[in-house]
Amino acid sequence: MKSNFFNLLERLVRADVDFVIVGGFAGVVYGCTYVTQDIDICCDFSTDNLLLLQKALSDLHAVHRQTPKRKKLELTRANCREYKNLYLDTDIGQLDCLSFIDGVGDYRKVKEGSRIIEIEDMRMRVLNLDELIESKKAMNRPRDKEAVLQLEAIKKLKKQ
Amino acid sequence: MAATRKQQGKTMETSGQADEVRAAIDYGIDIEMLIDNIKRDPGELIRRHQTALNTAEKLREAKYK
Repeated sequence: MKSNFFNLLERLVRADVDFVIVGGFAGVVYGCTYVTQDIDICCDFSTDNLLLLQKALSDLHAVHRQTPKRKKLELTRANCREYKNLYLDTDIGQLDCLSFIDGVGDYRKVKEGSRIIEIEDMRMRVLNLDELIESKKAMNRPRDKEAVLQLEAIKKLKKQ
Repeated sequence: MAATRKQQGKTMETSGQADEVRAAIDYGIDIEMLIDNIKRDPGELIRRHQTALNTAEKLREAKYK
């Protein structure tokens, strides 16, 4: 599989999915030096938004990555409410869709704590640096500890 | 070329950088690379990350052939 995160994000933007980039990939957007294997987004888990998300990925063979048989993504108006998170694999990369971010809160809080970035002709939201640091501190896995060190250094360097 | 940790420490001492930067250097983070990155726009950072990820994926595939 060849990942193409830019294309993945472009599809979400073009399909009008309501989302915020969070997690390790948000760190990359701020200048972290590590390489991440997936994109984490926090999104509105309303039925309409999840169906837009599914439409954005429609030709990418999206599957639930963490189910035993890698079940195909088949969202309907009836089953959307069953999901709190979606851990997906697609032809162009892994996409984790979360409804809640530890240390920040639900999608409304995450969106409030985000800012718009412009990439080429696209505008998308990314979690603010302070909120990203808080979310990484809340997760507190070994890789999060390194991310916090990088993000706090970036915050300080940006002020200088 | 990225500075060694010793060189980074010297840079930090001379410019009086903050504890957060010191902590990152002590952990082994390449602070010069962070300094370069914060000058780049998000689009360039994403493109550079993609290049690094593609390289890592190629290496991983080669490993299992």
